[in-house]
Amino acid sequence: MAEQPTTTERFIQGILPENPVYRQLLGLCPTLAVTANLQSALTMAGAVCFVMFCANVVISLIRNLLKPHLRIVVFTLTIATFVTIADRFLAAYLYGMSKMLGPYIPLIIVNCIIICRCEVCASKQSPITAAGDALGQSIGFGIALFSIAFVRELLGTGTLFGFQVMPETWPGWGIMVLPPGAFLTFGILLAGVNRITMYQDARKKHRGL
Amino acid sequence: MHSNFIDQVKKSNLGQAWLVLLLTIFFGGSLAGVQIKLGPVIEQNKINETLEKVPELIMGKALAEKMAAQQQLTDIRPMRVAVDYEGRQIVYSAYETRYQGKMLGWVVKTAGRGYADTIELLLGLDPTISRITGLYILDQKETPGLGNKILEEKWRNQFIGKSVNNPVLVVKTGAKGEGEINAISGATISSSSVTQIINTATSQLRPVLAADTGPAQIKNDREKTSGPEINSDKE
Amino acid sequence: MIYLLDLFLIALGAALINNFVFYYFVGICPFIGVSRHLDMAVGMGCAVTFVMVIAAFISWTITTFVLMPGAPVSAWVAGFFLAPETAATIDLSILCYIAYIFAISSSVQFVEMYVRKFFPKLYESFGVFLPLITTNCAILFACLTIMAKVTAADTPADAWGLDKALTLAFFGGLGFTIAIVIMAGIREELELADVPRPFKGAAITLIIAGILAMAFMGFTGVDAGLRNALAM
Repeated sequence: MAEQPTTTERFIQGILPENPVYRQLLGLCPTLAVTANLQSALTMAGAVCFVMFCANVVISLIRNLLKPHLRIVVFTLTIATFVTIADRFLAAYLYGMSKMLGPYIPLIIVNCIIICRCEVCASKQSPITAAGDALGQSIGFGIALFSIAFVRELLGTGTLFGFQVMPETWPGWGIMVLPPGAFLTFGILLAGVNRITMYQDARKKHRGL
Repeated sequence: MHSNFIDQVKKSNLGQAWLVLLLTIFFGGSLAGVQIKLGPVIEQNKINETLEKVPELIMGKALAEKMAAQQQLTDIRPMRVAVDYEGRQIVYSAYETRYQGKMLGWVVKTAGRGYADTIELLLGLDPTISRITGLYILDQKETPGLGNKILEEKWRNQFIGKSVNNPVLVVKTGAKGEGEINAISGATISSSSVTQIINTATSQLRPVLAADTGPAQIKNDREKTSGPEINSDKE
Repeated sequence: MIYLLDLFLIALGAALINNFVFYYFVGICPFIGVSRHLDMAVGMGCAVTFVMVIAAFISWTITTFVLMPGAPVSAWVAGFFLAPETAATIDLSILCYIAYIFAISSSVQFVEMYVRKFFPKLYESFGVFLPLITTNCAILFACLTIMAKVTAADTPADAWGLDKALTLAFFGGLGFTIAIVIMAGIREELELADVPRPFKGAAITLIIAGILAMAFMGFTGVDAGLRNALAM
């Protein structure tokens, strides 16, 4: 069996080299749906972080008791429970935000990132590694959401976190906060990330020779 | 023999699924705890969302703030009003507002189709349902930059004081008539959706609310905001 | 007449105006992953529609009878343990999400077994997509929309019946199929196009999706106009 990565490696991998959104293309629904402004994007990232952290740790604690064919059921049950808890907390303490995010909070249940981390890391490694992995992945997810929301809010409304930053004369590209803007922004950012990767790969190859 | 029994248990369904069952019980317990702790807070949030706006919609922002600062609280009575309209029963959430027993007006929650999605709004009305005293948009998904200008106070304030004895009309520019509202340029449909929602609500509610003289016609529903005992007005 | 108009507008809204993919961004993962070939896209679309209708049926039933506040079955069961007044207000809606995800997984399993046994031909064409659907957010989204319409209604008369729930699910699935089939058609042609290298794969798909979403925005407001034209 191949050597499993250590906690630090897991943590760092999640942030950029294996970024869940830009590299693995997982969890795209919230990435596109809640990035019209920065507040909702960061709330979403926080909720995903909470669920992923708890689910990863719990799964890792019971990893030796898991039956292979009941594995997915246990994953789903755990994730759905923590999503419900996160949803209630938001509704109780951040009511406006909870109303704005609407169905996208419960949709975290079917966010492939979390189930994928449970499968790849938590069901094989210790709770500490699983926790590090969850944090790394959720920071990676948060960065991805932040970058998309930054572009969309800045160009769409001329604000960041609701504060005016562009000159008052900025017309506001309405399309950026509408659905098409999400697809276009993410597509262009993704191409940018691909370009950087290609550049790095080429340099590595060059050095190797 | 003994090990045989253990093997059998391990192979049975229960032996396979004990972890799932145990987790279910554990998670069920924690969810129940969350519900008991947070359920009331969430309910309160839902009520506050509308209740907070009521004084402002009846008396205008300045007066409402002044009264709140002086601790002069209005008495808000949530109720449900059933209207028979073309053979269908339509139910509105309404808030009857009184100050020291004197009737100040009504706030009605109503919704209707906008340009992109449903628009949900709170409408402040005087006791006889003849004038608008305030308008607040609770929920909308109109086009950003155009239709969502219905949220702006400047546009909403046009409605204050307008008579609703006749339907409110939307005109492109230069509204001066009694029941005329300037449309948002580029968003005529969003603007007229709002007036249409208002017109429907006022025409349906006027016979019931304006004639209201007390609890005889409309049941107070303070304890239960959703209950089976809805009073229908069959005139 | 008004009844039919309501159903028609729900159908139109789910399929075109508020398309699941282009307006609500649900089901993006299969939309990007399985839209390379036309036949695969059709298979995926059919499988999603099929499962969505079944999941909508199950979730509507359990929401109405068991989970929503004061639901008849749970009130009846609770009546054995609690005082009648408390039993009538019992609220299990916190269990909604867990119930839905299990309803979806089990209906996927069930559909898979059934189709494999009785329609082997059909299974060959879209059976492979069935396990993938469990983590398709479009299905859960349909269940959640139905939940909101059933539980958040101000009066029992406004709550959605099974007819509306199934209409939403079927036409929502149809809207997903339309989206993924259009995309697959474009991507088949795209094989021959000279796409800049960083854009190859998902990036260009997303940009095409953005342009398609703009096209679908053209449907906005159609229903308001139709309602006015037909109802007046």
